[in-house]
Amino acid sequence: MRRESRQTDHLPKNTSKVTTPVVSSDTRRLAAGQVETDREVSTDNLSRYTEGTHMIGRIATLITLAMLIGAPFVIGLYLGALPDLGAAAKAFLAVGLVWTVSSVVEFLVYTPMLGSGGGYLAFISGNLINMKIPCAMNAREIVGTKTGTPENEIVSTLSIAASSLVTILVLAVGVLLLVPLQPILQSEMLAPAFDNVVPALFGAMAYQYYRKNWKLALVPLVLMSLLFIAVPSLASQTSILILPAGAITIALAWLQFRSGEGRSRL
Amino acid sequence: MLKELNSPFLYLICGGIIAFVAVVCVIFLVRAYRAGIAVGMDRAKLKRAITSSITFSILPSVGILLGVIALSGSLGTPWPWLRLSVIGALHYETQVAEAAAEQVGIGGLSASSMTPKAFATIALLMSICIMWGMVLSLFFNKRYTKQLNRQSGRGSGSRNFADSAMSAMFIGLVSAYIGNYIGGTVRGRGMTPLIVCLVSACVMAIFTWLSEKKHMEVLESFSIAGSMLIGMLAAVLL
Repeated sequence: MRRESRQTDHLPKNTSKVTTPVVSSDTRRLAAGQVETDREVSTDNLSRYTEGTHMIGRIATLITLAMLIGAPFVIGLYLGALPDLGAAAKAFLAVGLVWTVSSVVEFLVYTPMLGSGGGYLAFISGNLINMKIPCAMNAREIVGTKTGTPENEIVSTLSIAASSLVTILVLAVGVLLLVPLQPILQSEMLAPAFDNVVPALFGAMAYQYYRKNWKLALVPLVLMSLLFIAVPSLASQTSILILPAGAITIALAWLQFRSGEGRSRL
Repeated sequence: MLKELNSPFLYLICGGIIAFVAVVCVIFLVRAYRAGIAVGMDRAKLKRAITSSITFSILPSVGILLGVIALSGSLGTPWPWLRLSVIGALHYETQVAEAAAEQVGIGGLSASSMTPKAFATIALLMSICIMWGMVLSLFFNKRYTKQLNRQSGRGSGSRNFADSAMSAMFIGLVSAYIGNYIGGTVRGRGMTPLIVCLVSACVMAIFTWLSEKKHMEVLESFSIAGSMLIGMLAAVLL
């Protein structure tokens, strides 16, 4: 991979040589040919990178799945009692089906946001809505990449990987220091702060996205507010309402895009 | 029972799985960084993507640690540590663990009524209920992302809209949550989440102004974390 990066690092320099007027037409043709070759190398690198991502992603997902399903049985053997499969099946029907539907929605909605590498990692490491998705969107915003581009795929993967490592590290340190940290983190004074991590996160993210197109944001915001006022019991189903809210906003964005306004706004 | 659930063997099993996932993350990180350089991306931009993601993730991770602490009283520390480091979600774990405890007949999550069979069953259910995103990813990520790339590659127009659609989806997502906070305030469930949200948004506006108008671009990587911190501080002061 390092050798491949050296091959493509000089792409911009070659491009400038092609446009220099003092070189002969033969040299120009040769340079243009070199640029074309470099482009092919770059495309080839990208397709190899993508194929590698799918291969590593699938293997890692399969191993993680096997370990997660296997762990309760191994722990059960150690404790002297295997899981009660009948009770597990009943409990799955009672609570698991909702999460299964939710997982399908999450996969369909979040994979386009995350790309292939980010998608594999995010579904392995979890905490999508309260961390990975906003984190990847923030990184994308800072770097300024566009959906569907290789740059977006790369930035998203970097973001999810870095974010997952931070969580793993924070939790590992937290577990190591559980005894001294517990009274501080669970103190009454700090409780409201940690109860409001998600509102704080979405407040900051809302500013970032609303300011670009407040007209578009107004409709879903008003609709959702009215819905939660009219049906207060929906408060515990917010994650399910993401899909209709997103669908309405995408439909409005499409209308805006078709009218030409969206192209310059979003 | 809690002593057994906190035994070194369980730490070894759970720590081993977490270490595996950490290695996978490092592999993805290094590959993506090198690929970024190979396609001619600016190293500074790649580093900013990493730095901003690190600073972004610290506070939510501390919040997740609280989930580990909350569950450790009934399930021991190693299993919640694994669940919330890998695949799990803060809002999901407690709910499923509680429901599973009811189904296995111990009434609810509590260390005093926990049995080895109940624990093994709860642990299995916690894994099965949330694994479907991974299963779908395993079988359909490649096909789905290829399809999406083909669609966005059909022309610059469709690519532009793909980008707009993702921003719109995110606006919808954020609106669903903020709508919930507004609804909660109007319905008298408490206005703290809405105030925290507004404070955080105002601080973010200041960070953006400093970054864009005063050319303090370095703040960009810390703006979300800083806004969240001040927003959360507002919740303490209320």
